[in-house]
Amino acid sequence: MFARVAFAEAVKSLKVYFFSSRTLFWALALPLGNGLYLYFLYLPFAATTVDLQFGAAMPTKIDLVGFTIIGQLLYSFFTMMLLAGASFDAERWQGTLEVLLLSPANRLALLLGGALANAVNYMWMLIALVLSWVAFIHVGIFVTDLLALSVSLVLSYAAMIALGMCLETLEIYSRRGSIFTAWLQEPVTFLSGQIFPLQKMPTFLLPLSYLLPLTFGLMAVRLTLLGGASIYAVTMPLAALASMTIIFLVLAGLFVNYAERKAKANATLTQF
Amino acid sequence: MNHSLRVIASTAKVNLVMTWRFFSWTGFALRFFTPLMTLGAAWTLYNAVYEGQKLPTGFGVAGGSSGYLSFITVGNAFYVFVFAAAFVVGRVMFWERATGTIEATFMTPMSRLAYMSGIMVAAAINSLIDFTAVFTLGLAFGFQIAFFNAPMFLASLVLTAFALFGIGLITNAVTLTFRDRTTTANSLMILFMVFCGLVCPVGLMPPWAQWISKALPLTYGIELMRSSLLGTGTIDPMYDVAALLILGTIYFVIGAVTLAQIEKNLRKKALFSVF
Repeated sequence: MFARVAFAEAVKSLKVYFFSSRTLFWALALPLGNGLYLYFLYLPFAATTVDLQFGAAMPTKIDLVGFTIIGQLLYSFFTMMLLAGASFDAERWQGTLEVLLLSPANRLALLLGGALANAVNYMWMLIALVLSWVAFIHVGIFVTDLLALSVSLVLSYAAMIALGMCLETLEIYSRRGSIFTAWLQEPVTFLSGQIFPLQKMPTFLLPLSYLLPLTFGLMAVRLTLLGGASIYAVTMPLAALASMTIIFLVLAGLFVNYAERKAKANATLTQF
Repeated sequence: MNHSLRVIASTAKVNLVMTWRFFSWTGFALRFFTPLMTLGAAWTLYNAVYEGQKLPTGFGVAGGSSGYLSFITVGNAFYVFVFAAAFVVGRVMFWERATGTIEATFMTPMSRLAYMSGIMVAAAINSLIDFTAVFTLGLAFGFQIAFFNAPMFLASLVLTAFALFGIGLITNAVTLTFRDRTTTANSLMILFMVFCGLVCPVGLMPPWAQWISKALPLTYGIELMRSSLLGTGTIDPMYDVAALLILGTIYFVIGAVTLAQIEKNLRKKALFSVF
């Protein structure tokens, strides 16, 4: 039943949003635009590489274009997960949120379905973007351990999907859910090490950086895709991503129950 | 003419009252996140990543952190006007439709352009608050005014607002036609953010990006503003003024014609409220 609800919700979201201006913007225009913006931020420094370091390991020189592009691609996936919550906002606008929550469908399955649909929506854009960048901009890809890269990608996506499910509950809880999720975008961009290497982050902000799955995802994917790192070199970020996936899934279950109960008790599902 | 001025004044007044009556701290704070993030990132890049060793080049001012960070601050402060044009003027009709007042608005005999101008005036007044706030934030990151040329400063504000108004009209027409909520406005914000020289002099960008920059009025507005505050003066200010005037007029004419055409079309097909 759980899988069927998640599948049905994913299919519905895919049908509604696959060829929409929303998907084109969030999955194509935003990564391209932001990627260029970050690249231009580096232009005055006449730099071509960035030193990336995790823990006590020696810094690895990473191609600057690759650094900003990979950062942007993963960040865009994160925003797509934030956007998954907007499907509840859309249900509210259409006046169907109450009906949806009257159904006996498992709430977590609904959240998972929305998040998976957004992941699929983004995936085909992502593949096209990566291939075009490698072909036309000659991003310096350096992979020595395919397993490490695959695990890094899968765990990064899993952790972000789980976080996305947590954040989706905000849309049920409050009509200002969209604003709350929009609030996260710039702080996450700054704190995750998307713009500059994490080792250069002011020390007092690092604890906040370590709360974000994007931080560890960026570290693992950049090192394995651009720096030729093996799975042993990225064990720590991978373990953090796996732990976060479990924690965020549990939290999503708790949050969605609380948000729905609260919204029903206060009659704020549709109007407030 | 007198009637249009009254429409502008009353629309601006209503919008200002509405903005401050339903003031939201969350929405207000959100407007500063992009400038704050860029200022923080530029500061970290300059001071932590490159440790002040590799000085930025091509700014037309003396090197050093104050030159670079002042350059970034001015660009970001100016960017708040894009928000006013794209999200306020660009989504007027979307909100009229959402609140169920669009048909009543279009039934009135007022000039549509006067109505939209009133909204732009209110948005520009609100933007001045944001503009000042971003400069104040910039002080914490090392922003310094090298000198001040008041006429050039005012010209950059007024002419950019005029040029962005035309773009706001076009955005509004697109939003009205496609029932779009935020995509057009967001795309416009990205376009301006990337190509107008907010974080990097246009001259350092790849040639194809420079061509796009030349079509955007904000590029010239920012250059003029930087000339008035930082004395960068790499390009003749009169060139920027002329470019702003020409682009502003082109965008304004396209916006006005598109809006009139779309209104006519929506009336004919009865698509104002429902379709």
